[in-house]
Amino acid sequence: MSFLCVNKITAGYGKQKIIENVSFQLDCGCLLGVLGANGSGKTTLLKAICGILPHRGFCTLDEMTLEDLSPRQIAKHISYIPQRSGISIDISAIDVVLMGFNPHLKLLENPTESMKKSAVDALRQVGLAGKEYTNYLHLSEGQKQLCILARTLVSDSKLLLLDEPESALDFRFRYQILSLLKNWMSSDSRSAIVTLHDPALALNFCDRLLLLSDGGILGVLHPKTDPLQKMEDMLSAIYGSVSLQVCHNRNGEAQIVMIKEDEV
Amino acid sequence: MITIAVVGLFVGKYPLSFSKLLAGDEMQWRVFLTLRLTRTVVGVIGGFALGIAGFVYQTVFRNPLASPDIIGVSSGASTGAAFGILFFQGAASVTISAFAGALLAVVFALAISALDKNGKNSTIVLAGIAVHSLAQTALMCLKLTADPERELASIEYWIMGSLNGISIYSVTVNVILCVVCLVALFLLHRQIILLSAEEGEARMLGVNVASIRLIVLLIATLVVASVVSLTGLISFVGLLAPHAARLVTKNNRIGTMFFSGILGGILLCGADILARSVASSELPVSIFTSILGAPFLIFLIVRGRKQI
Repeated sequence: MSFLCVNKITAGYGKQKIIENVSFQLDCGCLLGVLGANGSGKTTLLKAICGILPHRGFCTLDEMTLEDLSPRQIAKHISYIPQRSGISIDISAIDVVLMGFNPHLKLLENPTESMKKSAVDALRQVGLAGKEYTNYLHLSEGQKQLCILARTLVSDSKLLLLDEPESALDFRFRYQILSLLKNWMSSDSRSAIVTLHDPALALNFCDRLLLLSDGGILGVLHPKTDPLQKMEDMLSAIYGSVSLQVCHNRNGEAQIVMIKEDEV
Repeated sequence: MITIAVVGLFVGKYPLSFSKLLAGDEMQWRVFLTLRLTRTVVGVIGGFALGIAGFVYQTVFRNPLASPDIIGVSSGASTGAAFGILFFQGAASVTISAFAGALLAVVFALAISALDKNGKNSTIVLAGIAVHSLAQTALMCLKLTADPERELASIEYWIMGSLNGISIYSVTVNVILCVVCLVALFLLHRQIILLSAEEGEARMLGVNVASIRLIVLLIATLVVASVVSLTGLISFVGLLAPHAARLVTKNNRIGTMFFSGILGGILLCGADILARSVASSELPVSIFTSILGAPFLIFLIVRGRKQI
């Protein structure tokens, strides 16, 4: 059985269904990208998997049915990074990172010294060294996102769900956040699902791509092995006519680039 | 705060002096112990409690204007007090009745909000507003039946708030309850901060949002109920103290929460000293919490702007 099985998930807000009968499976160590137009149900899918949204269908993670677990148990296994964190009070970056330990702490327990050390370490990993005591609200949107990522790294969960982590980031941070993600995955028995707006990023970093359209799965791509033509056709169905090119960087590593074509 | 408290011990209608106390003047000691000391203790603890409760409310509701009033605790207490003034005798029964009113209002508001399984913040606020207006209506009805000469006046006077007439016999239970709840709030500080994140986010950080929020709000409200049932409504302390504390410390750590309490204590104690010494008769303490508090807040805001 796969690491994560998503079985016929239907979810939405009120009576309106946003995604319907979505099923897919994810192997251990796999980085799954989710692509889709605005409103295609990317965020809804993530929220349904981690149980924030009521839904029909079920998910299993490591042979545990997530719907049977309490929110607190789910939090131990899954981390979720929303598009924007809702933190709106003055709080230092390190305190934000320390929130990540909460699933492992008892109600009245406080973070230990070693937890504080690993929080500082996590901030250094994401490139926010020296910002430990900076007010979180004074960080730029990109730095906030990195800080939240650091919070996720310390929580030591098996599955990471990221909702458009790149949307507020500049070019360099986009690559940085996905490389961090790759590093985090390389320690075994972990997987991540990340919704992305930038197809180039998705094609070059993700092991597999789930294409969503109108609340259903349009197809699954394997960017490393699938022929360009097949990927071009599928991506054109989402973004309008596009073509894919393979370019090489100075080290000779191939990267896929997506170019917009005129509509025919 | 200690300075203010010491000043508070020695200011009042009956002049006390340190030397006479040391000399063992019996009348002096009696006034000191039964009136002055209790009053100062209630001022300090009450202000401290209101400051902490305000901090908790503002954080949990993610709203800088949130205060215990929004879930109807104050109007519940007023209605209870009015009920006590009309139908029972004695100061203690008014306190008990006010406390019961406050508690009833809060339990009612939280029970309504528990009907909504998603348990959104906005549901609690709306339930609170509904209870608040119900309590106000009940209060109006009680006022209509009141004898305008004595009863109506004492209802109004109670609502304006005062530390007058507090004696050691009536405060013990309230103070103990208040202190226990405050300790609980400090222990729960980390959870309170987690609740300030967005609901789904807090849930994915392993917080059982609905029940923790209910517990925290209930405890914070117990704190307020135990204070206002003794003192009547005291405006501004719960709103001002947390803001002032955050403007000074610029964070929301447990130290800031404590500082918020200290500022609340200073404000209420200082206001009480003025209330009993400015005019020949006692004045409502709320007048002075506002007079002292508002300029201070304005000063902090202006200073904060300059730094940017």
